[in-house]
Amino acid sequence: MMISIHRLAGPAILALGLALPALPVAAQPRDTLTLCQTLEPPILDPSGGAAAAIREVTYGNIFEGLVAYDRDGKVVPALAREWTTSADGLVWQFRLRPAQFHDGSAVTAADVKFSFERAVAPDSKNAQKWIFEPIAAITTPAPDLVEITLKSFTADFLEGLAMGDATIFSAASVGKAATEPVGTGPYRFVRWQRGDRLLLERNDSWWGAKPAVKSVTFRFISDPQAQVSALLAGDCDAHTNLGAHEAVAQLRADPRLAVTIGRTEGETIVAINNAKAPFSDLRVRQAMAMAVDRRLVNEGAVSGLGTPIGSHFSPNHPAYLDLTAERPVDLAKARALLAAAGYPNGFATTLRLPPPAYARRSGEIVAAMLGQIGIRATIEPLEWPQWLERVFRNKDFDMTIVAHVEPLDVNIYTRDNYYFGYQSPVVKEAYARTKTARSETERLEAFRTIQRQITEDQANLFLFMLPKITVARKGLTGLWPNWPVPANPLAELRWE
Amino acid sequence: MNPAWRHPSFGVGAVLMALVVGAALLSLVWTPHDPTAMRIMARLRPPSADHWLGTDQFGRDIASMVLVGARNALLVGLVAVGIGLVFGVALGMFAALYRGRLIDEAVMRGLDFVFAFPAVLTAILILTWFGPGLVNAVVAIGIFNIPVFARQARGATLQVLALDYIRAARLAGLSRGAVMRRHIVPNITGLMIVQGSTQFAFAILAEASLSYLGIGTQPPNPSWGRMLNDAQTYLATAPHLALVPGLAIAITVLAFNLLGDGLRDLLDPRMKER
Repeated sequence: MMISIHRLAGPAILALGLALPALPVAAQPRDTLTLCQTLEPPILDPSGGAAAAIREVTYGNIFEGLVAYDRDGKVVPALAREWTTSADGLVWQFRLRPAQFHDGSAVTAADVKFSFERAVAPDSKNAQKWIFEPIAAITTPAPDLVEITLKSFTADFLEGLAMGDATIFSAASVGKAATEPVGTGPYRFVRWQRGDRLLLERNDSWWGAKPAVKSVTFRFISDPQAQVSALLAGDCDAHTNLGAHEAVAQLRADPRLAVTIGRTEGETIVAINNAKAPFSDLRVRQAMAMAVDRRLVNEGAVSGLGTPIGSHFSPNHPAYLDLTAERPVDLAKARALLAAAGYPNGFATTLRLPPPAYARRSGEIVAAMLGQIGIRATIEPLEWPQWLERVFRNKDFDMTIVAHVEPLDVNIYTRDNYYFGYQSPVVKEAYARTKTARSETERLEAFRTIQRQITEDQANLFLFMLPKITVARKGLTGLWPNWPVPANPLAELRWE
Repeated sequence: MNPAWRHPSFGVGAVLMALVVGAALLSLVWTPHDPTAMRIMARLRPPSADHWLGTDQFGRDIASMVLVGARNALLVGLVAVGIGLVFGVALGMFAALYRGRLIDEAVMRGLDFVFAFPAVLTAILILTWFGPGLVNAVVAIGIFNIPVFARQARGATLQVLALDYIRAARLAGLSRGAVMRRHIVPNITGLMIVQGSTQFAFAILAEASLSYLGIGTQPPNPSWGRMLNDAQTYLATAPHLALVPGLAIAITVLAFNLLGDGLRDLLDPRMKER
């Protein structure tokens, strides 16, 4: 006996070494997680690109700002513990909480000044420079106190600071932010296998309550069918926004999985080249609106999981107006409008579509619907680089379909040189009021004026809000059902 | 009974081809429904009395789409093979006439260059350059067919040119053009028909591949390849969406390949002598 035990000791110790820690883990809730998302971020620096995938990985996980959006889209404290504004709204003071970067250095007021000045520098690739444009000066009266003076009153200044584009970096580590990010958040970067997965680990020196999940793997699966297979096979504990909406019924029937249908901030629109004939004629755009039944497009393109919209505005926002009843489908009236505009037999046009399934499917349906009033739209599928070059930059298009995913992005209707070429003094004036409004009511009213005006002008055809389809293993709680900003704050997740 | 029908490949191929051609012709005058009409609330329905093969993701009638798809597939085959045949045979015969001269080398090496690229890759290149669409796809497939026919035509022409009676005809004062017309063309026609039917199958498959990739036939014009692509997302829930166009492609390609095999045997002069 002695001999045999002795002989077995080596492997036995090894086996115990593996088995012992495993036993209590089996009894406790799991503390690992594999989260799957559709697109891989091109880089990990949220101040270096507009891609939503960057935020989906880093927002509130690796990186933090002074303030943050919560799951309801409300601005809450992050690295700033509290803040005050002067009576005229021009001077903001942010009191920082004691916090550390992942390399151990403390977060100071100087880091805030550095980050914001870097964001507006001429060589900055920040996608939302407008956030920082109102800033006149940044001073650091104390290591934990930042004072920002604005050039003029800006109602959405704080909301801008909550975006990933206003992340706080340290000068020492910002150079590596794109590939080996060092942030302040509850999770630190471990490893990134490009094309496949990215590993994060809990940052135990984070200022907030200790997150329940210790290590998280992000996996990137772009093919909708592969997403479904990965969920069914248990390779993913959750998918943050499933592409295969047609599989929702099948996944709902699976007792191991929970499916939640939420909303993104993605207004899906048929963008019309307002600057080009015949679309420059309001009657033509109105006729098109009366031919396109957005409820059917929503059904056919995203299995009815989106939310129909009548203007370029998210139903998640308190200023939202339901304008879907404006210009109901009426083919006879639409044909009459076309005739009045000088096109009794309709006209031929093109519909240039980017690659996502929602755009290609909506495109086929919209083309068929426009065909009913004699508008013969030839579909031209484009890849993203072509679309960005031809449609978005060179405005070489008649119609296209795309989802505008940034929150509160109605300001695109005030830009002089934007791709769909819409111009309206009313909208510009109202948008300026949203910046200067001293009361919330006044601000919301200004946003409502914009919504009414762009619907009145039928600047584009407004289809639906892209749905967010969250699929998670039963027992995993805390994923955001909606995406006020594209984000998956891991500190809120736990296994039950 | 005509002995041709007794040839198993030819017989089966001819029956299948008649089926496909019949479907294509029928679609010109009648389809159960409008193949482009969408009934979104009746989407992804299984086969029924009203929709014999069910409906697709937009509620379009699959039976009607498959019928019209047959027309598109045959059109692609005819035009693509036509382009290859006309230009390929002309170039091949021309090269054979000037055998060994610089012009022969130039033409044939040029065609080798085209042939060196994989067919579908060439087509993707052309479609990326000129934009996607049925016409461009057909031209792209047709261009790839040119060297195939040219090589065959050159070889066959050289064989015929070496025969004694051609030399005799030339000595008797018959011009090059007349030799081509009277002696070469009739002699190589059989071979070209056989090659044509194989290339026909290839063209249909190529169009299906290009449409599957989204750069061939554009919606709403029905294409078997695009139907397959669309069906991919519904494989788990509505497999008939993929099965129907998949079968249609398989049957058509099989028909033309069998036909080609049969024709090769039947048109072979050595078989005739027996």
